[in-house]
Formats: sequence, structure tokens, C-alpha cells
Amino acid sequence: MEKFGKSQAVRRVEDVRFLTGEGRYVDDIAPDGALHAYVFRSPVAHAVITGLNTDDAKAADGVHLVLTAADLQDAGLTMDIKASLIRNRDGSKGAGPKRPLLATDRVRFVGEPVAVVVADTVEQAKDAAELIEFDFDELDAHVTVAPGGPDLHPEALENVAFDYGKGDLNAVEEAFANAAHVVEAQIDDNRVIVSSMEPRGCWAEWTNGRLHLCVNGQGVWDQKDGLVNVFGLQPDDIRVTNPDVGGGFGMKAMTYPEYYIIPQAARMLGRPVRWMSERTEAMLSDNAGRDLTSTVALAFDADHKITAYRVDTLCNLGAYNSELGQFIQTDLFAKVLMGTYDVQTTWLGVKGIFTNTTQVDAYRGAGRPEAIYALERAIDYAARQLGVDPWELRRKNFIRPDQFPYKTATGELYDVGDFARVLTRVEAEADKAGFPARKAQSKAQGKLRGLGLCYYIESILGSPTEDAKVTFNDDGTASIYVGTQSNGQGHETVFAQFLSDQTGIPADKISVIQGDSDLIATGGGTGGSRSVTVQSMATLATVDKMITGFTDFLAEDQDVDPNAISFDDERFRIDGSNLTPTMLEVADMARAAGHADLLSFAAQTTLPGRSYPNGAHVAEIEIDPDTGVVEVVKYTVTDDFGNLINPMLAEGQVHGGVAQGIGQAITEHVVYDPDGQLLTASFMDYGLPRANDMPMVTFYSEPVPSTQNPMGMKGCGEAGTVGALAAVANAVLDAVWDEGIYKVDMPFTPNRVWTILQEAKGAAA
Amino acid sequence: MHNFDFVKPGTVADAAAALQGDEAQPLGGGQTLIPTMKQRLAAPETLVSLIGIAEMQGVCKTDAGELSIGGATTHATVEAEAASLFPGLAGLAGRIGDPAVRNRGTIGGSLANNDPAACYPAAALATGATIRTDKREIAADDYFQGMFTTALDEGEIIVEVRMPIPEKSNYQKFLQPASRFALTGVFVAKYADGVRVAVTGASEEGVFRWTEAEQALGSNFAADAISGLSVSADGMINDLHGTPEYRAHLVKVLTGRAVMAAA
Repeated sequence: MEKFGKSQAVRRVEDVRFLTGEGRYVDDIAPDGALHAYVFRSPVAHAVITGLNTDDAKAADGVHLVLTAADLQDAGLTMDIKASLIRNRDGSKGAGPKRPLLATDRVRFVGEPVAVVVADTVEQAKDAAELIEFDFDELDAHVTVAPGGPDLHPEALENVAFDYGKGDLNAVEEAFANAAHVVEAQIDDNRVIVSSMEPRGCWAEWTNGRLHLCVNGQGVWDQKDGLVNVFGLQPDDIRVTNPDVGGGFGMKAMTYPEYYIIPQAARMLGRPVRWMSERTEAMLSDNAGRDLTSTVALAFDADHKITAYRVDTLCNLGAYNSELGQFIQTDLFAKVLMGTYDVQTTWLGVKGIFTNTTQVDAYRGAGRPEAIYALERAIDYAARQLGVDPWELRRKNFIRPDQFPYKTATGELYDVGDFARVLTRVEAEADKAGFPARKAQSKAQGKLRGLGLCYYIESILGSPTEDAKVTFNDDGTASIYVGTQSNGQGHETVFAQFLSDQTGIPADKISVIQGDSDLIATGGGTGGSRSVTVQSMATLATVDKMITGFTDFLAEDQDVDPNAISFDDERFRIDGSNLTPTMLEVADMARAAGHADLLSFAAQTTLPGRSYPNGAHVAEIEIDPDTGVVEVVKYTVTDDFGNLINPMLAEGQVHGGVAQGIGQAITEHVVYDPDGQLLTASFMDYGLPRANDMPMVTFYSEPVPSTQNPMGMKGCGEAGTVGALAAVANAVLDAVWDEGIYKVDMPFTPNRVWTILQEAKGAAA
Repeated sequence: MHNFDFVKPGTVADAAAALQGDEAQPLGGGQTLIPTMKQRLAAPETLVSLIGIAEMQGVCKTDAGELSIGGATTHATVEAEAASLFPGLAGLAGRIGDPAVRNRGTIGGSLANNDPAACYPAAALATGATIRTDKREIAADDYFQGMFTTALDEGEIIVEVRMPIPEKSNYQKFLQPASRFALTGVFVAKYADGVRVAVTGASEEGVFRWTEAEQALGSNFAADAISGLSVSADGMINDLHGTPEYRAHLVKVLTGRAVMAAA
């Protein structure tokens, strides 16, 4: 058996459950009799709280409890929500202002939790919330992603949370001084609202002093640690579970105030309490994504080889630090700062800005789409200014295959890659040669057509360590316990199939168990495109133990030398014997022989290094100049994901990623007004991409197997989004270049595109 | 949503009587009112459903050659039943919202609400429709009085809408990218004695007639006829989906497309 399995396009078994209403999401499985919580949130972006009277709300029908910051204080819950702090250029740590569970003296964004009402029904809780008297003196809001403005926190002068730098600035400046050509650009990366199909929710129940929090997260262990920290409980006194989860995208990887307030309410009431976010509430309270602006510059020698790259970014953190907020546009951006190009002289400088908006943190790709977007836009601008073909400029600067393993300027060790080969493949598959004819055809119909390329590389993140445990059950089935967490990606199918490929246990006899801190001691959850790589490696190690254990058992049972026994991925073979038991049959034999120790095997593994999926996205777009509508009409992807464990699911991940990329590029447009009110707080104003906004995405695999895991695979969960943004944006630039438009920024909404076309017409006239 | 009482009368008279109560509000398909109530922005004490009134249902052609539509007729019914009699209107009805909205929303509800981005007001104004209520008949030119404002009195019920059937007609809607309401929509209706052009979604005053285009198209019903005209951005809606200039421009683009599609 190959270590990467049989690479079959097995259909997702969990979809039958999801598509027939049999999914068990957090709000489906709240305990009987759970009370309903409703969160009263700040209606203003920035204000000093002068009064908070909940007397009438407490007296309202059906109300059991109203919690405020003062009540939490009285109960001894004074810990805030933790966030990691980045190092500033001077070695000090970034600002770490307290992020309270419920607002204390000030509110800093619309949607900040102020009080929680718990009642028999959610309608009663809402009725009561209308009786809360919330008095405040409004302050000016700071909503622009730039230093200055009214201070949010005393810890952050001018609202600058950190000043990060990575690279040798002197060397970069010298390279620019000696450059034959310098190309600069300012590149905006627009804010998006994550919009998971299932909003956030949780419920909590205490039994004999032990807390069970059920939450739709991306892993249970970080959340458990958070509860240990806030409640001061022993780890054994806390159980956290994640049931079926309807999309996370990094947004659900982080912790939120509700996940502490709801357990506290349940503790005070001695009854289970449930909370489920509504859509506008999600838009106001879920971590947002992207939201940065970068000034970038490329230095070239006379032969158009890049000699240095410099990025200076301002990024939005929102009102408080979310858990990883300070790391996204800094450390994570830096992972792929220089992309696929052989350049060792680079600089990344980032200032993180507090604003009176909802927190900003990881969103599908988390820093890497942002880095690739900035770089791949810059390369396109450069090619146009230098008067060379953007594809050839990339080809000329690629890291060559003979340079691997390649240590990047920011310290990543790329294991393998053959970027030119992938580019050549996509050039043919996308029929680049036929583009001029298609452009002429579009023009005949009054449309502007453009073709855009993005060559991306991704760095797989998340914990490299993972656990697996396989048990043989009395009913003749097997279970695999995993430390990852499906948010809908198809893990149940992939993990069962992989174990089946390696052991011969039929996939339909394998159940995948995830998301329960009582059943699984440690794990890394889902995030950073890590799951299948880390989980499969741990599964392989578990299977090795299983084979060894069963071989020894059979040797003793059959009185043969262990070396006379082999396992061929389906059956054990014993030299000179007709006995050829399957794994399940050996487990039965072991059970009958009283060997309980042979009914459970576990292993933990750590990847020796990260994998670096990469590939090329080629978008073709058409603009209707009469209306400014941008339509993606052709889309071709060629990816190097290494070996594909399940090609169909890998391609599905690309489709979803491209959809989210096209969404950000064309339809998703977050707008705050100067007072910090979110104007796009429902799907009436926030445009998610729809099926008819999506082209048919054609996908090709051009694998160069990774050397950093036994399967030779590379993660694929985020790659689609990483590639899509610049491909679409570069295509739009290509379409309007001949109209005299030399700079375009997302989102390409009809009104914005029409407006730049009008401005160009005006300038030409 | 706050608690409320619900009544579903079977006659217009009973409905009118029920609407005399304090804080009573008529309910058509509820496609605007129910979400508004869910957001707690409206809290009527009594909802008077109009969809159980038989005389307010259905589509037919009158002896005078008009299309008669019961006030509580759903968009889906108009789409189906007007298809051969008045395809321009059926096309409009079939592109309102999504199937769920079309199976609940009613023409009377749309006209009574007079959302500046609604589709039906454009058809009613472009056809010079007559709005018959439980009290009187109102000409479309007098009926629309600005955003969310109509000639209807409190508690007055739209029983029937009668539209003269044009020789040719078409509705062009430019979708607001998020809501899929009309960012701007134009209904063009050609009659033997002239052309009427009504614009929705664009103006701060709600639906309006583009009379210059009507005159130009009256003498030459071709997209070219309006090529020399322009629409002023003054008074056009400015929001995050469209500037006044953009909307004014769309009025002309969509009018041209509607004429091409109708001709």
C-alpha cells in the first residue's frame, strides 16, 4: 500500500446527513429545559458608559437572570479574554489592553456585549432586553485604518497596537538605491465578513461541579484552556465538545465572550443555558477578515530580476486584540512574503491599528492570501510598467527546481516545487494562446475582457503535532478518534477511507470520533490547511502499532515466529498457514483471548516540516462598460498539492476557496460609516457570491510530492482563496488597461467599476 | 417579534372593519412586514390578513381590455396567469425576489408599501394603472407620492389593480448586488396613443416617469430615439450600492434595453 492511500474520489458520506436535515448542530442538541440567552450589545461604536440599569429587565416575564460586568465582578470572574501579542521592532511586546467579557466602563464597537438576559424563551429575553436602560456619553469613533484619531486604549498611543518589522531594512534600502527599475504600488485588501452558514452558538451545563460547554468551534482544547483560565477550574472539571459545525474559516477558531458568559449564567442558575447568534448579530460580533492596506515596492536589475521587495502595511485589529489578531498580517503574512520568487532581500513592516470596529483575525488563509495578493498584484503592475509579459516576469524570477530545499528570506524551508512546470501546464489548460481571439469576441459584443494570473504559494500552518486512536468495538466495528475537527470539509469520509486503505477495515465499519475533550486528550483542531496531513500521519503511526501488536498476538496464538507473519493492507498472512485473518478478525480473536490491550491503539506524531502547496489561478473576466458589472467567465486552476488523498474533495476545497475569493474580489464590500455603524449588517446590503456569480472552475493537478510527510501530500483547504484574489484583480486590470486605467482595487462592485471607467473617459476627453 | 393578534377575514368589508381597531395593520404576503416585525421595528397589535378574501385573488382580462389583478394575488400567480395576456408584467413578477417570496408576496402589498426599490410600482405607473380600493379608484399618476408614501388612507385596502394592456412592454431590472432588489428598474409600455416609461429604484421621490424618453419614444419606438437624452443625477438615491450619477446613467441604459427587448 502506498502511504498516501488509494487516492480515490470517494463521495462524502456525511453529506447525506447534512442534506437531509440530520446534521446535529449545536442548536439542535441543547439539553431539554435549557434556558435561552440573548446578548444585549452596544448600539454605538465608542462611548463612556454612564449607567446600566437592568431592574425592569430582571422583573420581566420569564426572565431568570440578567448579567452585567458588575455581576461577573461580584462572581469573581475578572479574567479577560487572552490574546497573543507580537514583538515590536524594538523587542517590546504589542499593546495588550484588557478585552472584557462584558463591557465595563466603555464600549468600543457596535455589537460589543454589554449584558446577557436569560429567560424561558428567546422572545422573552429579547422583550426584557428592550427594558435595559443603557446610558452613555458618545465619543468620536476611529474607523480609518491609520494611526491617530480618538484613542481607544491608553496602552496604544495613536491607536497603534504594534510596530512590527521583519527583514534587513538597510540591505533593502541599499538594493533599492542600486536598482535599475523600481515599481511601487499601494494595494488595498478589503475587509470581509466571514458569514459561515451556521452562525456561532453554544450551550453550557454543569453537572456535579463539572462544566460541559458545547460550542461550534474548530477544536475543543484551546477553548478548554480558556475556560480553565477564566473560571480557575481544574482541567478535569471541564468538558468541551464541538458537534457538527457549519463552516468556520478561521473565524470559529477563536474564542469569544459568549463562551464564558453562558457557562457562568448556567452555573448561577443551576440549569443549562443556550445561545445562538442571529445573522446581523454574527455580522457585528464575529471576527472579520483581511482589512489592510500595503505600500509595496519591487526593485529590479537591468535584466528584470527582482533584487529586493519591501512591504509596509497598516492593518486593522478592530476594537480589541482577538486571539491571533496581531499575528495575521505579521508572522503569518511573512511565511510567504516573497512567494515563489528567488529574492533574499526583503522587508515587511506592519503597524496594527485599533479602530471602533469588530475584531479582525484569521479568515481562510490568514495572512497568506493577503501576502500573495500584495505580491502578485505588484508583479503585474511591475510587468506592465516594465513593458514585459507578466507570465514571463514570473518565470524569470521563480525559484528553480534545483534550488530546493530553499530557505526563504523570512526563514521558511520550502521542501520541493516546480513552479515553471505548473505555469506551463496552466498556460495550456487555460488556452492563453486563444485569449486574444476571445477578447476580440467580447469586444464585438461591447464587453471588455481581461485575463489575470496569480501564482501563489501557501505555507501549511497550525500545530504540526496530532493524535490518533483506533479502537475495536464489541459490535465488530472500529472507531478512529481524531484531534482535528471537521467544519464541513468531509473529514469523516477522508479519515475513514484513509484508515480503510491502510488496514482493509471496510470504511462503512469505521466511525470517526472528534470534538470531545473527554474522549480525546489533545488535538490541534482545524485550521491552516493542516487536518488531512497531520491526521493521516498520526493514523499511519497508529496503524504501525496495530500491525505490530496484532502480529505479536498472532505469533503467540499460532505459535509461529513473528517474522513469519506479514500484513498486506487487507489480511495477515502466516507462512505455511491457511489462516489469513483481517484486522477485524484478529481484533475478535484478541477480544476472545481477553487481550483488552489489543483493542485500542494510539499514536502521536509531529510533522518534520511544513508542506508548501502552490499553483496557478487564471481568471478571465468580462466587464459590461454600460453597467460596470464584472463577470468571471472562465477560470482555470493548476495546483501542486502533492499526492491527493481524495482528489474530488481536494477539488471541492478549491471550488469553495475560489468562491470566497471571487466574493471578496467582486461582491463582498464591508462599509462602516464615520460613526462606526456597520452599514452592511445584513444580506440586504452585504453581497455574498451566489451560484450564478461563479464560473465553472476547471482544476488540474500537477503534483510534486512533499518530502515533509510520509504521504507526500500538501494541504489544500485555503489554497483556493489564496490564488483567487489576485487572479481576478489582475484580470480586471488587464481588461481596463487599454481604457487608460492603470490601478484597480477590490471590491469590483458595479458602481465602483463604472465610476473608474467614467473617470478614465473624463480624463481622456 | 412582539406578540400580536391575527385575523383572516373572508370579505373586504370584514377586513375593513377589522382594520378600524387600534394598531391594526393589513397583511398581504408579509414579505416586508414580517421581517420588520422580526427585527422588532414594527409591532402591530393586530394583523389583518387579506389573502383569504376570494374577490382579491386572481388575474383576468376585463371587457375593457385591461388586465385585472386581485390585490392579494401573489407574484407567482401573476407570473403564470399574465404570461400570455401581458408578458411584460409576467416577466416582472417572475423576477421579484426568489420562489419563496413570489409564492407569498402580493401585488397589493407591494403597491401599498411602495418601497423605492420595488418592481411593481414601475409597472403600475408605466401602464397608467387604476388602483381600486375598498373606498375609491385612484389613478397611478396620483397614487405614488414618494418613498413609502401613497395616496392610501390608514386602513384602506387595495382590492384590485387594473392595467391597460400595452401593445409592447418590457421591464429591465438592474440588481442591487446583495438584496437583488432593483438598484434601478425601468418599465417601458407602448400603447397605440403613446409610450410610458416608469423608473423605480433610482429616485429619492420613489417611482417616477421619464417624460422626455416617453416623448422621444412616442415618435420613434427604438433604443436610438433616446441616445441624445440624459438623465439628471439631482434627486437620485445615494447609497453604498450606487451614486446618483450611476443611477441616472442606469436609467438611460435600462430604458434602451427595455425598448430593444420590447420592440
